[in-house]
Amino acid sequence: MSEAEIVKRAQAGDFEAFTELVNAHKDKLYAFVRKLTGDPDDTNDIVQDTFLKAIDKIDQFRGEASFGTWLTSIALNQARALFAKRKQGEMKPIEAYLPVGATNGEHPLAEASLFDWEDPLANLERAEIGRLIEEGLETIPFAYREAFLLRYVEEMSVKEVAATIGQTVAATKSRILRARLALRDFLSKRFEAKYGEKVRRIH
Amino acid sequence: MAKKCEEFISGLADYIDGEIEPELCEEIEKHIGQCNNCRIMVDSLRQTVRLCREGKEEKLPPALEEKLTGMLKKRWKEKFGQA
Repeated sequence: MSEAEIVKRAQAGDFEAFTELVNAHKDKLYAFVRKLTGDPDDTNDIVQDTFLKAIDKIDQFRGEASFGTWLTSIALNQARALFAKRKQGEMKPIEAYLPVGATNGEHPLAEASLFDWEDPLANLERAEIGRLIEEGLETIPFAYREAFLLRYVEEMSVKEVAATIGQTVAATKSRILRARLALRDFLSKRFEAKYGEKVRRIH
Repeated sequence: MAKKCEEFISGLADYIDGEIEPELCEEIEKHIGQCNNCRIMVDSLRQTVRLCREGKEEKLPPALEEKLTGMLKKRWKEKFGQA
């Protein structure tokens, strides 16, 4: 049975069909919200409220987007409301994360970490990398983090992200890039501290 | 070289995501071949997304799932009269 048919059954009041939808999307939604909030308690609250809201609004689901995307947008609204109350850090301009100010191939003005990562998975435990990513994402203001995660974790196109967050394609692209640069810079500094010596010894 | 790096930066995201015109792509690749810092930047930006996707995969904790099942059933009954 296709997902559209399962949704129709759920909309007609079939709880088993709704449970099927929950089971199909619960882990992906949980993983996304966990990355978005960085906090297990916030994640639990948002995931819970998302599925409860999905019941309340199930008649409004028209199938223009997939059911998963619909759930993601409900979760995003909850997360936005939560983070609107919290102070957000500032984002540096794109240039601050790039090797600019170059002369003769040198980059004396670069603020960005230019440590050669090699393969982080060969140098650090996957769980440790996961923790560092979580820490890094937390340093990125919510508006940038949501755009980045929708693009690369939810694998939406830039246009879809722009429509979801209500921004122009150009502004969305800029947010995604800045978040990616900020996270790269955060990870780069941590990787250099954790296994930089090992990499330098090899070269 | 400074100008080249700046040109490179303007097309960075589209290049990494493979959404760039072939001519510009060729120019960027040539630049990366000559500029080690920009090569490191591109490589680590690619890996940032890869690690984000492959990193710790979180699953709905069983305790939350159990709680959720009860809550959803209750809400469903309120809405549809049966679950």
